[in-house]
Amino acid sequence: MPRLDRLPQLNRNNLLMLPVQINDTAPFTRPTRPLSACRLAIVTTAGLHRRDDRPFGPADQTYRVIPSDTPAADIIQSHTSLGFDRVPTMRDVNISFPIDRVRELVARGELGTVAPRCYSFMGAQRDLKRIEGETGPEVGRRLRSEGVDLALITPT
Amino acid sequence: MVREHTEKTKPPRALFVPFPFGYAMGRPNDPELQHRVLRAALDLFAEPAGPVLRDFPDDAEPGDQPPAPVQASGIPTTAGVPEDPALETTQMRRYHEQWLAASGGRTAFGLSGIPATRFRGVVRFIQSFAAGEDAELDERPADVPLPNFIRYCADDWKTLYFEGHMAMKPAAGGDEIARWFWAETAAGQLLRRVRDRLDASDDPRWKAAAFGVAR
Repeated sequence: MPRLDRLPQLNRNNLLMLPVQINDTAPFTRPTRPLSACRLAIVTTAGLHRRDDRPFGPADQTYRVIPSDTPAADIIQSHTSLGFDRVPTMRDVNISFPIDRVRELVARGELGTVAPRCYSFMGAQRDLKRIEGETGPEVGRRLRSEGVDLALITPT
Repeated sequence: MVREHTEKTKPPRALFVPFPFGYAMGRPNDPELQHRVLRAALDLFAEPAGPVLRDFPDDAEPGDQPPAPVQASGIPTTAGVPEDPALETTQMRRYHEQWLAASGGRTAFGLSGIPATRFRGVVRFIQSFAAGEDAELDERPADVPLPNFIRYCADDWKTLYFEGHMAMKPAAGGDEIARWFWAETAAGQLLRRVRDRLDASDDPRWKAAAFGVAR
């Protein structure tokens, strides 16, 4: 993501005014097996979903399930923010949802497996109460029940 | 999300990448760079303790795009913009079909649920809304509010143009395409009026849609 000092003043001000959760530390879990035996799921905040799924609306704190075998060509974006360039995603959805790259790592034996499902939220949100209290933990529980060792979280 | 946010939020493992907004994995259709970014992220797995914030060990930003996109409000309209957005849309659909053929069917189109072959009806709907009329379209699902549906139609319409433009000029970047769309197309001028009507409303849902159509 761009360095703050390379952005126009307006963008800098908007970003610095964005309410951000402040934490002193973070829960940290050490891996119990090598990467080549791990299961990975992508969790994105790029507002992506399957073409026939419900698009995201303004301030939408719900999430969408993207089965990992969804062809990249069937994944589209309904993120409401205009603060990012959509053209790279039009050209190649791997720019924020690197599902083809992850599959290639599995094929090479560097990563164990891709989880059956990936998950998508919309980013650039100010009110996060429902994500923090409901939809975020729900996705966490789903990842755990699906045997996921690693969540690769990608923005747009 | 910029580095300063991550420093405060302190996720367990984070990788800072020096790319423009919209380019999280580096560059589209550049699997080699995307793999380097992915590998740098997965290397954080081996860190003994956290939270940890690392910088992607490659300072080569794709320098051909601005870090954040230009907004419609910052692009003046040029003289001689076509007057008929429906006719223009029909022309752009031909280029969009070329895009589909070249991309193997990959398209960002599809938020409105209305196929491109019936998009002239959408254009009439958008014209009617921009003119201040009680615009409605039978295809709007009952559970999708009008301003949201207008935004989905606007996004699909922009996709036809943006992807069509990429078929015409494959090397064009996002900045060039946005400047063309908002300065030189009838669609761009009509969406500015849609934005103005949405933004003039007191309803926060309408204002939010205005933000999504064109800032």
